Amino acid sequence: MLVSSPTSPYILEMLDISKSFNGVKVLDQASLRVRAGEVQVLLGENGAGKSTLIKILAGAYRREAGEVVVDGQRLPPGAGPRDSLAAGVSVIYQEFNLVPHLSISENIFLGKEFGGRFFVNPAQAASEAKRYLDLIGLAVPVETRVERLGVAEKQLVEIAKAISNRARVLVLDEPTAALTDRETNLLFDLVRDLKRQGLGIVYISHRLKELFSIGDRCTVMRDGCTVGEVAMAEVDEQELTRLMVGRQLERHKRVSSRRQGEKALEVQGLYYHDRLRDINLTLDKGEILGLAGLVGAGRSELARCIVGDYRITAGEVSYQGKVLRGGVAERIDRGVVYLSEDRKDAGLILSQNLADNIALPSLREFARPLINQRRLFATCQSFIDRLRIRPPNLRLPAKNLSGGNQQKVVIAKWLCSRAGLYLFDEPTRGIDVGAREEIYTIMRELVAAGASIIMISSDLAEILRMCDRVAVMAGGRITAQLLNDGDLTQEKIMTHALAGVSEGVVSGGSHV
Amino acid sequence: MSSQAPSRGKRWEMGELSLYAGALGIIALFTLVCRFYGRNFLTLTNIQNIITQSSIIAVIAIGSSLVILAGGIDLSVGSVVGMVGIFGGLLLKGGTPLWAACLLSLLAGTVFGALNGYLVSYGKVPAFIATLGSMQIARGLALLLNLGKPISRFPSELGLIMNAKVVGRMPVSVLYVFVLYFFMAVVMSRTRFGRHIYAFGGNPNAARLSGVRVRRVEMSAYVLSGLFAALGGIMLLSRLSYADPNAGNGYELNAIAAAVIGGISLAGGRGSIPNTLVGALILGSLTCGLQILNVPVYYQTIVTGVVIIAAVYVDKRGERRAE
Repeated sequence: MLVSSPTSPYILEMLDISKSFNGVKVLDQASLRVRAGEVQVLLGENGAGKSTLIKILAGAYRREAGEVVVDGQRLPPGAGPRDSLAAGVSVIYQEFNLVPHLSISENIFLGKEFGGRFFVNPAQAASEAKRYLDLIGLAVPVETRVERLGVAEKQLVEIAKAISNRARVLVLDEPTAALTDRETNLLFDLVRDLKRQGLGIVYISHRLKELFSIGDRCTVMRDGCTVGEVAMAEVDEQELTRLMVGRQLERHKRVSSRRQGEKALEVQGLYYHDRLRDINLTLDKGEILGLAGLVGAGRSELARCIVGDYRITAGEVSYQGKVLRGGVAERIDRGVVYLSEDRKDAGLILSQNLADNIALPSLREFARPLINQRRLFATCQSFIDRLRIRPPNLRLPAKNLSGGNQQKVVIAKWLCSRAGLYLFDEPTRGIDVGAREEIYTIMRELVAAGASIIMISSDLAEILRMCDRVAVMAGGRITAQLLNDGDLTQEKIMTHALAGVSEGVVSGGSHV
Repeated sequence: MSSQAPSRGKRWEMGELSLYAGALGIIALFTLVCRFYGRNFLTLTNIQNIITQSSIIAVIAIGSSLVILAGGIDLSVGSVVGMVGIFGGLLLKGGTPLWAACLLSLLAGTVFGALNGYLVSYGKVPAFIATLGSMQIARGLALLLNLGKPISRFPSELGLIMNAKVVGRMPVSVLYVFVLYFFMAVVMSRTRFGRHIYAFGGNPNAARLSGVRVRRVEMSAYVLSGLFAALGGIMLLSRLSYADPNAGNGYELNAIAAAVIGGISLAGGRGSIPNTLVGALILGSLTCGLQILNVPVYYQTIVTGVVIIAAVYVDKRGERRAE
């Protein structure tokens, strides 16, 4: 690790930043300071306020209080994206800001084209772009259209774009999420290079291990506040986790409601084009089955096949002893429901109020044939109270609720329809810690009442905490079904999640 | 604008308030200006004229509103009005009884709606393109069926459909409008079908995963739009006792304008049917008022355009502030 001089000046100071959405405080006097030539890690759980803080830095949100100083220059509270960029802040998000069918050089100089008032000068742009690509070590012709590049290369183009903007502060948001080990190492070399040139780097990642090899200092956030600023050399993973979660992770004794032998769901020889291959699964009443695996392993596809959103190409899915047929509507009638990962896009009708959202799948219950509004409202209100949805106002549009409460509205919707098998896809993603516990409690209540749950999650700690068994997927197959008997570890699950990947890449053989 | 049809104890929303304020404002303005020129605007005759003249657009606009609520658009309704007129006219001339001619005409419009609906919901053809095409086809059929010639001299009972007087001097067409609007308002706010249209227009993905049979629901919006357009066609034929293959030209835009002035969001899923009637009446009173004041017809068109833009501008101002 490079030792940076502790006296080097702050190149970025964000002090006492506050911000609320719909009256909910998401940032409460949070601070972030970065020295020139250092990598400042920004760490925190989902919903801790990292992305809000970064969006304020990027000028995408306006802060309500606090100061932002970049390279000695104060950014006014009303500064927009262009002002931030001009001040020398470049943010590289997980979803890249590149135009796919433009070339590399066009992308780098988008919005600041060379040439006169009306005409651009492609030749000059190309030679300049070449210079930047050389600088970051990307050996691809500058005319290449961005859509033809891989993830790592796109990321390098983003960095080149940042350098061409004369960035003083570079923010990398989960930059290694989609990179291979080799690509990660190349990225780290580049980051060290940029440090040497005096840039300040904000590095966001959940992969604690890699933080120790790239980070100099670390700012930890929790519930919208900055809870600590430490030197990476002086802490270990446990200490960071403790800061992040705010307590030692206590081992709850998991209570199982599984009624072994009372089969709820059975999947036999399921195929879905080339995305899912020979899936066999069973699920008991009262059981929570975890579905683990890397992104792209086919977990969501399997869920969508079970709920009838995708038509399987071979095999059979039965529930309570009878084969499931038809599409989503028929399966909802049978009590099989899907709570999608993307609540905003596929779970809720954001512009409509809570009552409309909750009652949507159960309208038949209230319609004979005219909908009995009074009964509908009373029923929805009872679910809102039972799940402690805040604010408890039926007439509020769903978009005004926080992520945790939105998730509860989706759950209320299916409780109202008296579902028996819930497929949760990343149920706690983007949900703050408190609400997360409540969702776990609700899930436990569901299984205790005899429902069954399949829980897709990338958070292995969560899987170990909640599930009776874990099915691990990789490359469209189930690579292992493991009993969560107390000896199961995240590492064991990971081994099976990676099994299919290395299989496909290295040997091509199968080992199940 | 209201995110749902009116329900018990609902609170007034800004967009709705400004719609009604705008409607009253226009009426007040015309009353004042007419008074200034020594004429009366708010007479029974005028009010009747406004409603009668707006009735056809108002009926067609129910269909347009449904389609827009479902997140689409239907450009074909004006041509369907023309086609239904010629089709029904030919049937009547051929000796078909009035009731049968009406039913067959409604069926013709419904078939067109079904064609649109199938293309959009099952064929995934963008609504704008599908209905642009069927708009041309319907117009072409209207011209082809009688080789471009108009039809006139119909049996006198045809006129009764529109002009029969019910209570006092009120023409029956006014009754149609209120009955249809009441019926559809109830359907949209109080039945599964109506709520499914709102859900689909608001978020097709979430609606599908909530068990809404999305393709069926989307298609029915277009089918109904064709049905209401055909109804408009019969009403026009009855009022004029004259079938012109070019009839209904531009009605689709007036119907969409009525829906939009009434606050139905072009993004889908937001707005309420009764407000479309207010929108249609605003357009009707504009035309009527400007006619009383002898404003040349060219200005009327311009004023209509300004009102459409102003209505949406005011409606969106709330959203812009919220951001």
